[in-house]
Amino acid sequence: MSTFVGLVTVFIATLLTHNIALTYLLGMCPFISLSKRIETASGMGIAVIFVVVLTAALNWPIYNLILVPTHSELIYYITFIITIAASVQLLEMIMERFLPALQASFGIFLPLITVNCIVLAVSLFMIIREYGFLKSVVFALGSSVGWTMAIVVMAAINEKLRLIGDIPRGMRGPGIVMTSAGIIALAFLGFAGIVSL
Amino acid sequence: MKDRLLMLLFVLVCGTVLTAALVAVDAYTAPMIARNEELKLKRSVLAALHIPFEEATIERTFADNVTVGNAGGTPFYRNAEGIVAFAFTGSGLWGPVRGTLALTPDLGKVSDLTIIHQEETPGLGSRIAERSHLDRFRGRSILPALASVAAGKAAADSDVDAITGATLSSNALVGILNANLAARLPELKEATR
Amino acid sequence: MSSPAALRRPGAQTWGTFLTGVWRDHPIFSQVLGICSSLAVSNRVENAIAMGAGVTFVLLATAVFIAGLRKLIPGRVRMIAYMIIIAAFVIIVDRFLRAFFPPISEQIGPYVGLIITNCILMGRAEAFFITNTVPQSLVDGLANGLGYTMTLVLIAIIREAVGFGTILGMRVMGAGWVNWVVLSMAPGAFFLVSLFIWITRTLAGKDA
Repeated sequence: MSTFVGLVTVFIATLLTHNIALTYLLGMCPFISLSKRIETASGMGIAVIFVVVLTAALNWPIYNLILVPTHSELIYYITFIITIAASVQLLEMIMERFLPALQASFGIFLPLITVNCIVLAVSLFMIIREYGFLKSVVFALGSSVGWTMAIVVMAAINEKLRLIGDIPRGMRGPGIVMTSAGIIALAFLGFAGIVSL
Repeated sequence: MKDRLLMLLFVLVCGTVLTAALVAVDAYTAPMIARNEELKLKRSVLAALHIPFEEATIERTFADNVTVGNAGGTPFYRNAEGIVAFAFTGSGLWGPVRGTLALTPDLGKVSDLTIIHQEETPGLGSRIAERSHLDRFRGRSILPALASVAAGKAAADSDVDAITGATLSSNALVGILNANLAARLPELKEATR
Repeated sequence: MSSPAALRRPGAQTWGTFLTGVWRDHPIFSQVLGICSSLAVSNRVENAIAMGAGVTFVLLATAVFIAGLRKLIPGRVRMIAYMIIIAAFVIIVDRFLRAFFPPISEQIGPYVGLIITNCILMGRAEAFFITNTVPQSLVDGLANGLGYTMTLVLIAIIREAVGFGTILGMRVMGAGWVNWVVLSMAPGAFFLVSLFIWITRTLAGKDA
């Protein structure tokens, strides 16, 4: 029971108090450039959730069952990057074969995820914090859902802004996105201390 | 299909070459890094036990003034007055936090605290390693456990003010100290009876 | 990429490349790269300088590696190749620092991860280094690095002055100044960067 509570705590923490986009400020590049429309944002978000959870589930055993027993922790960075790249390639291959329509709609997002900082960051965090396997997967799920939540909220706001907007020329695009992001981040600060990770 | 396999092959070759370079560099630098880490620990223990030292003679000062004991397999350190210090480690917000915690001889209060390593947000969370924050722990009761409270709100004996704007890192430090204390206090009590 | 006339004046092309990186196609404001780190690290001037120096250094090294190896890297694995080359290089440098210059390594420690994942490195590798010579890439790397550092320091000056009351540790605000702590945290980073984007984009006449 306490493991379950522990896992729920991790999940909530990654959504609210330790949100990887708004607290850690990771995964910002796609956050800023892809939060213009809800469709784009949620598409990217779903792809990110897939990849983050998959790579965390792969990297954990690779680190703890292969690298640690052979005392090769040193190469964990490079190994993680290769796993991530390989997973994304694998995912693309599988989708091309079995779900071509879905793959077409994901379009360029899939390859872009390889370089999204949060994929690597989640794997690194779970190792540094020495999480167990289940905790790592829940952490990965929570972090990626948290990121998706942030980017979709941003997209919703940006869509509305464009309708109302008498946005000054220099602010259009990244400028106004940053300001909205700042306000949301400010709001999320209010969650600090609700749960401790 | 062949395309992708070729790609995978390239990645593996590239990865192997770079890994070999990394391993070579690591083998070369590992002894120096280990020595630096040992010096850092000794410096930190001397500071936590309030034993003055000079950079050039750290090893000698340590050997002369610190008694190293063993509690449950891991070392602890004592100075002439009976202050007990041990190394703590745990996860901060971004990365591991390591340091030395020194307790009063009755193992009930914090005597001092130093941080050897942390990777918190520079300028914000990283301030947990600054003297001004560490001093807040002095004299605080560790029973039943330390508590991190909002800046300025410390009331009970075991309360410690957090750093405004660095709540998560401040809480993490207190959490780490409590976890390490929970694990080591019983053994320390045994070993110092 | 450049007209025959321009090619005849290598000095002019180099200067053009430099200007583009530092202003016209600025990494943060124009290309919108390197945001992660500019938000996290611009809260104090000394952090900004350290990070800027680190990124510039790695940019130059990456320029040499990628431009030097550009004929050998197959098209489809470019991104991964960049990542592992950059990661390996930064880790090796970190090891050397930890062995020979421990105090510097302690300062730079938190940035190592941030530098490896900094999109500017990937962005420049993909947009410039992979298709240009080593000397040209070095110029572009230097230009982007300087542009990035300049911006980071500018933002940090404001954030540190208003958020901490100091610049480079020296007190600049009067004794009665109440720190605007929000500016030293995440939201403040967003607000300030967006202000900067507004100002520079208006000055440069850029549209969304």
